[in-house]
Parts: sequence; structure tokens; C-alpha cells
Amino acid sequence: MARVAREMVEKAGINVDQLVELLVKNAAAELTTYYYYTILRCNLIGLEGEGIKEIAEVARIEDRNHFEALVPRIYELGGKLPENMKTFHDISACPPARLPKDPTDIKAMLTVLVEAERCAVRGYTHICNLTAGKDHRTYDLSQAILNEEIEHESWFSEFLGEGPSGHFMRRGESSPFVSKFLR
Amino acid sequence: MKKFLLEEVAQCNGKNGNPVYVLFKGKVYDVSASFLWKDGTHQVLHSAGVDLTNALEQAPHGRDVLEKFPVVGILHDAGMSSTQSKP
Repeated sequence: MARVAREMVEKAGINVDQLVELLVKNAAAELTTYYYYTILRCNLIGLEGEGIKEIAEVARIEDRNHFEALVPRIYELGGKLPENMKTFHDISACPPARLPKDPTDIKAMLTVLVEAERCAVRGYTHICNLTAGKDHRTYDLSQAILNEEIEHESWFSEFLGEGPSGHFMRRGESSPFVSKFLR
Repeated sequence: MKKFLLEEVAQCNGKNGNPVYVLFKGKVYDVSASFLWKDGTHQVLHSAGVDLTNALEQAPHGRDVLEKFPVVGILHDAGMSSTQSKP
């Protein structure tokens, strides 16, 4: 634990235990999403599915990166991950991104993907709102993750025809915002 | 439609097998089916069985998220509630 770092956050008026619980739940959401996206990606086949597979894979890898980036902050603040993987799964901040009944229904696949990203966007916005001006490091991390989650949402939303976002698929390395926390 | 007292809504807090109800602008919503309200808490900071009218104004989502769930009643004294003041 980073004792003084935690103390500073407490002194800024944040309930650190609550914040840690939020971070753990969001870390659970990232890792479970990584798992469920693996299944979704495997089932993105055929002419339509193959067109989405690459961005689903980027989102999958970046969600795993988000998990990796969140873990040190949880421990710095005196928290820890549950010892039991099933417990960890069940406390996720977002519902499981389960494979739809008909995996050939691309709209249903995209809906699962976009809803997962929207849950994440709400979750990190919530953490940013809580920590802004008070816990600079958690804010910086959450904002970096939020930037990537918004891009994921935009990609899937565009495939659903909800309107243009101005984004294009990743060029270069994955996690352009979060990578600084992974070095 | 059933009329609830605040105390009755408070009992529907998701604990000990109770349903998960929340109050918004005088209406009682049953969010028991929501993954995000498991055990009667939402995003760590919010508890079931209480009036979330003000909290929802600050939330990173709109009322549409809540409106997906069934309304099971209204607050008995909704006419006098301060939560009714906003459209």
C-alpha cells in the first residue's frame, strides 16, 4: 500500500474504501469482458462477422489492458482483489457480455458489444466525477480508460448505424491512452 | 396502483430476500431484475429503498435507464414530496 498516497486521497474528502470497491468492481468488469469478448470474437464469422472481428479484438485486448492498469491502483490504495475468481466475476460493475442466442445475428452481437462499452463509459465517468480534483492519479487513470471506452463505443455504434462518430479503427499500438500506466 | 409509504419502500432494499425498489419522482420502480442493483446496491454509492431523484440528476445516465423497469406503485404522499417539484 502507498500509505501517504492513500492518506492524501482521504484528506481530499474521498471515502477510499468505497473508491477501492468501485475500482475492484470495474477491474472485474474489464477482465470478465475480456473473457466474454473472446467468445464473441470467435463467433464473429461470415461476411458480416469478419468485418467486425478486428475491432472486437482491439476492444478485447484494450479491456484486458484496463484490468492490468487498474490493479496497481487498487493495491496502492490499500485494496486487494478477491482470492476467488468466481467471486471476482460476480461482483463485476457491468453485466456479462454473453454470446447472443443466435451468434449469426450480427445486430445482436453488436448490441452486446455496444452495451458493454456503454456500461464502461458510465462507470468511468462516475469514477472521474468522484475523483476530479481530489485523487489525481485515479482520475488520470480513469480518464485514460474512459477515452478508450468511448472509442470502443463509437466503433460498435457506427456499425449499428446509429450515426457517425468521426473515429477510425486503431492505427499503431493498442491502448494509446492507457499504455503509460502499463510501462 | 399501489401507494407506498416511504417506510415501505425503505424495506425493499434488496437485503434478506427483499425486492429491490427505488423511488424516482414519486414513482416506485422495481429494479430487482437489474444486474447493476444486485444485493440492493448500485455502483457502491447508492442503496435501494430510497429516493434517488436527486442522485439521478447527477448520474452518468438518464432516467431512460430506470424507465426500462416496471413501476410498482407511487409514493403515498407524492403530492407533498419535494421530489415532485421538478418535471
